[in-house]
Amino acid sequence: MTTSVSAPGQPSTAPAKRRRRINWIAYILVSPYVIYNLVFWVYPFIWGLIIAFQKWNIVSPKKEWVGLGNFILVVSDPQFWNALWVTFKFWIFFLPAVAAASLLLAMMLQRVSHFRGFYIAAFLASYTMAGVAYSVVFLLLLSGNGLINTWIWKLFHVRIPWFTDPRLAMVSIALVVVWKFVGYYGLIFLAGLNAIPRELYDAAAVDGANAWQRFRYITIPLLNPSFTVVFVFATILSYGIFTEPYLITGGGPLGSTQTFMLLIYQKTFENLEAGLGSAMAISMAALSFASTAVVRRLIEREVAL
Amino acid sequence: MMGTWLRRRRNQRHLLEITIYVLLTVGALFWLFPFIWMFLASIKPTEEIYTRFWPTRLTFEHYQLILRGGVALQRPFLRAFFNTLFVASVETASIVFIAAITGYALGRLEFRARDLLSNAILYQMIFPGILFLIPTFLLVLRLNLINTYAGMIIRFLTDATGVFLFTQFFKTIPQDLIDAARIDGAGEMTIIWRIMIPLSTSVTAFVALFNFMARWDEFLWNLIVVRDYNLMTLPVLLAVFTKGEYGNYPGAQMAAATILTLPILLLFMLFRRYFQEGIVTSGLKG
Repeated sequence: MTTSVSAPGQPSTAPAKRRRRINWIAYILVSPYVIYNLVFWVYPFIWGLIIAFQKWNIVSPKKEWVGLGNFILVVSDPQFWNALWVTFKFWIFFLPAVAAASLLLAMMLQRVSHFRGFYIAAFLASYTMAGVAYSVVFLLLLSGNGLINTWIWKLFHVRIPWFTDPRLAMVSIALVVVWKFVGYYGLIFLAGLNAIPRELYDAAAVDGANAWQRFRYITIPLLNPSFTVVFVFATILSYGIFTEPYLITGGGPLGSTQTFMLLIYQKTFENLEAGLGSAMAISMAALSFASTAVVRRLIEREVAL
Repeated sequence: MMGTWLRRRRNQRHLLEITIYVLLTVGALFWLFPFIWMFLASIKPTEEIYTRFWPTRLTFEHYQLILRGGVALQRPFLRAFFNTLFVASVETASIVFIAAITGYALGRLEFRARDLLSNAILYQMIFPGILFLIPTFLLVLRLNLINTYAGMIIRFLTDATGVFLFTQFFKTIPQDLIDAARIDGAGEMTIIWRIMIPLSTSVTAFVALFNFMARWDEFLWNLIVVRDYNLMTLPVLLAVFTKGEYGNYPGAQMAAATILTLPILLLFMLFRRYFQEGIVTSGLKG
């Protein structure tokens, strides 16, 4: 009779009570992660937002509220728009080049049965090389009198100013980054290709579709998830280029390789303008988010198998 | 009639296959060329670096310059190597440990803040790192950790993607195993180390390898936090060396780049399977 008092919720009381008890062990286990990220993720994030509205040069204790002043400085700074242009130049070359090369690689890898491990390793090794290491290597290899130019000179009697011509420098950097990522994106495409059922190709062949038609109407549409991933990764990456221009060109010639990251680095850690640098970082992050959203919107499709 | 058609088809197939092998082999050599050239440049006389591929004679003067002479020149490369190893190892150990215990709690335990925390971690994964660079630097400055190992290490003690991967994988491990261990009196830490981790070798290896590689490669943060040559990591020292007064020693640069490349290349060759699995997983995640 006494139990009927709590009748309404009765069936669920036992598990509900168990759930309501605080699970101390779970909180203890997540506490290192939570505490660390409150201090080194949430707190800096908020602080970064605040200093974007201040004029402050790090070393002096004087901070001055300037409202949207830093953001006005950012959008009226030709260097900021130059960085956007540089990023676009990189992206418009890098994305098609790396997507085409890695898709080709994946399609070739899918068709070979021998030495596949070796081929994957050979194309993926570039991804494991440290940014500083390959930047220094390509700086020497592609320099005006470097080995590649020595060979090109012998063959064609020209020298290619890879990193010294303002029109070419960013394209050369993009080429280096293509070299780095082809194996990585190739594996993503390979996984996507392996997920397409073979019967579709057989059925299409029976219906008289040629190789190009099978590629165009089966491979391309069904590979959409892989394309989306690669395009999104490549777009995010285009905004984050730092080590290569820092080491190879230093942003030059004539600012033609001065990426956002390099510009923010210079403003903040060389000119010590923390507020301006922070405003620039926020603007760049917003642009990166927007570009990624646009890329997703343009290419992502529902794929039903 | 049909026979010749089939034979021609088969010959076409054959030709295509041979073409693919040739293309892949040429491509692979092309892709490995910078590695080979770097290594050869580090053991050939300086004057041949720009002009010849195969050295006419071998020399270890570049390694001697950066390893022995380096100390006298205030460019302690050997020390930088161990600095990198130390910083990257401490960071990776912390990342893997914290990712495992957090992933266990999120994947296997019930508590009120679980969904909130899981969502927060998903958001963390898509936030651009640039938003945190400047304020974290200012925080480290305020904590007086500029020019210290702690200053370099403290920024990379956890990794949201690692937590996500552990959480997802731990969810797939049968509850019976956990219950059986509990009946035997095992605590949560024992369950994590004796049951969950051994059953998740590929995820553990992937989180450890990728983070170690990224931490070994870290450049920008270590560049702004450390100014003292004795504390610099290998990437930072090599960059300073290249951009600085020793820009005219290409052989020494290549020797340093080789030392910077070899450990990760070795790890890659030993654990290639985990690298490949990890990349495919990261592709599915995005």
